Parts: sequence; structure tokens; C-alpha cells
Amino acid sequence: MAVVELKKVAKVFASQAGRLTVLVDIDLEVADGEFLCVVGPSGCGKSTLLNLIAGFERPSSGEIVVNGQPVTGPSPSRFVIFQEPALFPWLNVYQNVVFGLRMAGVDPSEQQDKAHALLKAVHLSKFAQAWVTEISGGMKQRVAIARALAMDPDILLMDEPFAALDAQTRDMLHEVLEEVYQQTSKTIVFVTHNVREAVRLGSRVILMSGQEGRIIEQFPVHLPRNRYLEDVEVVTIASRIRDKLRQEVLRSSGEEGEHAG
Amino acid sequence: MPAEPEIAGKAAGKWRGRVARVLFLLALGILWESLSRAGVWNELIFPAPGAVIRSLADGIGDGSLPRAVGASMVRLGIGYSISLLIGIPAGMLLGRLRLLDDTVGSLAVGLQALPSICWLPLAVLWFGLSESAMQFVIIMGSLMAITLTVRDGVKTIPTLYLRAAPILGATGWRFYRYVLFPASFPSVMTGAKLGWTFAWRSLMAAELLYVTTGIGSTLMMGRELHDMPLVIAAMIAIIVIGLITDRLVFRLGEDFVHRRWGVG
Ligand SMILES: Nc1ncnc2c1ncn2[C@@H]1O[C@H](COP(=O)(O)OP(=O)(O)OP(=O)(O)O)[C@@H](O)[C@H]1O
Ligand SMILES: [Mg+2]
Repeated sequence: MAVVELKKVAKVFASQAGRLTVLVDIDLEVADGEFLCVVGPSGCGKSTLLNLIAGFERPSSGEIVVNGQPVTGPSPSRFVIFQEPALFPWLNVYQNVVFGLRMAGVDPSEQQDKAHALLKAVHLSKFAQAWVTEISGGMKQRVAIARALAMDPDILLMDEPFAALDAQTRDMLHEVLEEVYQQTSKTIVFVTHNVREAVRLGSRVILMSGQEGRIIEQFPVHLPRNRYLEDVEVVTIASRIRDKLRQEVLRSSGEEGEHAG
Repeated sequence: MPAEPEIAGKAAGKWRGRVARVLFLLALGILWESLSRAGVWNELIFPAPGAVIRSLADGIGDGSLPRAVGASMVRLGIGYSISLLIGIPAGMLLGRLRLLDDTVGSLAVGLQALPSICWLPLAVLWFGLSESAMQFVIIMGSLMAITLTVRDGVKTIPTLYLRAAPILGATGWRFYRYVLFPASFPSVMTGAKLGWTFAWRSLMAAELLYVTTGIGSTLMMGRELHDMPLVIAAMIAIIVIGLITDRLVFRLGEDFVHRRWGVG
């Protein structure tokens, strides 16, 4: 059953330079428990797509339906993990993790149990009392993940969450995310630049085109889970997608050349 | 540890600064004393440091100076608190609600162009020669600065925080209380400091024009009695109060903001 449905969705931004059509005719269904990865050239509208599902932006036309309900705005059931951690600097690590629970009026002892379990899962138990300005970028992103999981959303929307991290931290967070996905079978939409990351994590990868903002190809990933970035099968599928992506990047920069010339 | 010389260097620099400041003030005092000994100007208009210190000591001894300072501070405390209580929420609303900003916001900008003491005639007509009139002047002097500073701060809150709020369930009043207020805290601090400066100046102007108790009136009384040492003693008291609030109250707040938000 489709949890997220986009029907003929288009997004046009109006700016001083004129109207910018970012997404056209997007038809997309995300099944319950699916791990969908979205790749595409920079500026093709991946973040816009995620923001539409999150409810931060409204579609210019078409409809977005989540669990049978049209999306009218942001909701804790569709939690977003941004590229930058977006933690609140006036709270410490622990307070950031329980913030959503506090807003929901969850009983304090339950807040505590949940937060401790989550901080342990992201290997940050020792830093519960640290201030946000005192921890590294990778640690911040781990706190952001713990904060998201505390909300126990139906759908996790992730916008290049690991793009700014070093390889070791990223590998560790892949494992954390893998474990969460297998235990909770949440529906996840994951945007990334990194094709191999998409194949390592996703059960399906969609490729977006650079110019007219469409979904041009879909790649189901039928590999058993607990994959590694270095797995031969992962590398093989990734190189197939990367070839397509490269054509796409070339094509879109070629078109730009024509416009300029 | 490589960090140590750095810290030691900073501490030494701090002490050097303090010693230099004390020596400078001492030199200024000596210059003042020698000028008045030289008798270039009449002692009535240019009192010796000793006379000023005596006047300060007398004022403190008979309790008149602390009483005057106390009266001013109570007045200021009430007016300034009202300004904060109105200005902070008003600034937060103006920063969020476009329509309110286009209307009330532009009114506030306009009113800020008016020096607060210009409100005194109106205040006296409305409230009579009363405490309320003085407080009205303090409020009109500081409210706009607080409101507009907080408004500008709210407008520059990172979009990321504003987007994180609703998905964490911080909506309605909870959004204002748990996200918008703390996120704009650095500008609330700046606004509070600016507002304090404006409130303090408005009060002094009002007390000078309108005789009552208070340190500004002490200054005026000194002039009427041709008591120059008293005038200067009152001026010193005003400077000291300004420095104390800046160092003790606002410096602490700014340090806190700097540590936590990494700005300010
Ligand atoms: N609020 C907005 N107003 C106007 N234009 C916008 C807005 N948000 C995005 N755009 C434009 O829409 C296009 C797609 O942006 P988007 O951020 O979705 O790209 P992206 O695929 O996420 O790129 P990247 O991989 O670099 O993050 C860009 O050309 C961008 O300039
Ligand atoms: Mg993006």
C-alpha cells in the first residue's frame, strides 16, 4: 500500500528573474516500509521534492497524499532530517533529544528512558549534558537522528544528511540507520548525491533529470540488507546508475551551453 | 599544554589593561587637583576634587544620595520592566506577522524618531505632575528600541529552526515560548541593553526638567544652590550606576549568549 502518493505534482518558483519550473508531472508512490533513495544532478529539485512531502512547501499543481490524507503542512509524523543538524543551541544534547517528547507532553520518566536508549544507539551517552556548540558536526548529526527517532515518525525524510561527514562517521551512521530501518520498518525517503550510498541503503533508487525536473528512471535494489558500500553488487548497480546520472548532468550542462550560445 | 601560555597571556593583558586604566584615572585626578590649586578658575564653578569627594561622602553619610539614587532606580525599574514586558512580546509578534509589522511596526519606527523627552509636556497634561508622567516618558523612551530590536532579531532566525519547530510539535503558543523566544534571545539581550540605555537617559532628562526626588533632581538642586561639588558628585553617581548595570547585568547576559549561541 502506498503511504506517500504524489499525483501530477508540479512546483514553480516565482522570483525576480521570472518563473522557475523545478518539478513537472511528478507521479510517485512510496510503499509502506520502503526505503526510497532519490538521486539527481545538483539543483534538479530533490530538496524541493522532500520539502513538498514534508509540507514546508505547497505544490503549484497536483496533489500529495500521505496515509490517505492530503498534506496541508508540516507534521511530526513526517519528520525531516536536514543536511545541517538544526539542533537548538540553547538546549543541551539531552534536552534536544527530548524536545519533541516534551512538546507532546510525554511523561518525564518515559522521556528519560527513551532519550537514554537513543543516545546509546548513536553512541553519545557520554555527551548527554554537552552543549551543542561543544560537539563536532558528526556528533550533531547523530543527535539530530536521535531527536528524529524520539518522535517515532511514520515517515523519515532525509535530505543529504551525511553529505558533510567524514567516511568513518558516515559508515557508522549507515549502520545506525540500517538497524533502525530493520527494527521499525519505517518508510524512508532519502536524498543523496552519493549513488553508492543510495544503493547501499535503498530498496529503490529514483533518478531525477537535471532540466525539466522529472523522474527519468527507477532502479529497484533487490539485494539482501546489511550491505556495504564496497559490496560488488552495490558497486555494480551504482555504476549503472552513475552512468545514467552522468549522461543527465552532461545533457543539462549541454543545454545550458546552447542557451548561452 | 599548548593552551596555557595563551590563557596566561590573556590574563596578563587583562591586568595590564586594568593597571593602565587606574593610572590614567589617577593622572586625571592629579591634573584636576593641580588645575584647581593653580586657581585659574573660580572655585564656585570649578571645584577641587577634595570638595567633590567631601560632597559625595556627605551625601552618602546623611543618606540623601542613596535616597535619590533609590528613588530614580525604583522609577526606572517600574518603567523599564513595563517596556520589557510589552516590547519583547510585541517585537516577537511584529517579526512574525507581516500585517502587524506593516502597520504597528511602521508606527514604532516613526515614534522612535521622537526623542522621548518630547513626550513630557503631553505626559504632564495627561497624568499631572506625577510618577505616572515620568514613567510614561521612560516607557516611550525605551519601548520602541526594545520592540524593534527584537523584531529584527526574530526576522533573522535561521529557517532551519523555524522548520524544525512544527515537526517537533512546537506549534501555537508552544512555538513562541519554546522556539521563537529562545531563538531570538540574543536579540532580546541586545534590545534589553539598548532599552536600558534609552530608559536611563529619558529618566535623567525627565528628572532634570521636572523637580522631584531622584538623582537627576539632585543634579538640578546643585545648580540652583550653586553647589558645584554636589553637581559633580551627582554626575559621578550617575556614571557609576551606568557602569555597574553595564558590567554586572548586561555583560553577564552577553557572555551567556556568546557561550551558548556562539554569537553576540
Ligand atoms: N524558495 C525558493 N525560491 C526560488 N527558487 C528556489 C527555492 N527553492 C529552490 N529553488 C530553486 O529550485 C531549484 C531546485 O532546488 P533544490 O534545492 O530542490 O535542488 P536540489 O536538487 O536539492 O539541489 P542540491 O543537490 O544542490 O541540493 C534550484 O534551481 C533552486 O534555485
Ligand atoms: Mg538539496
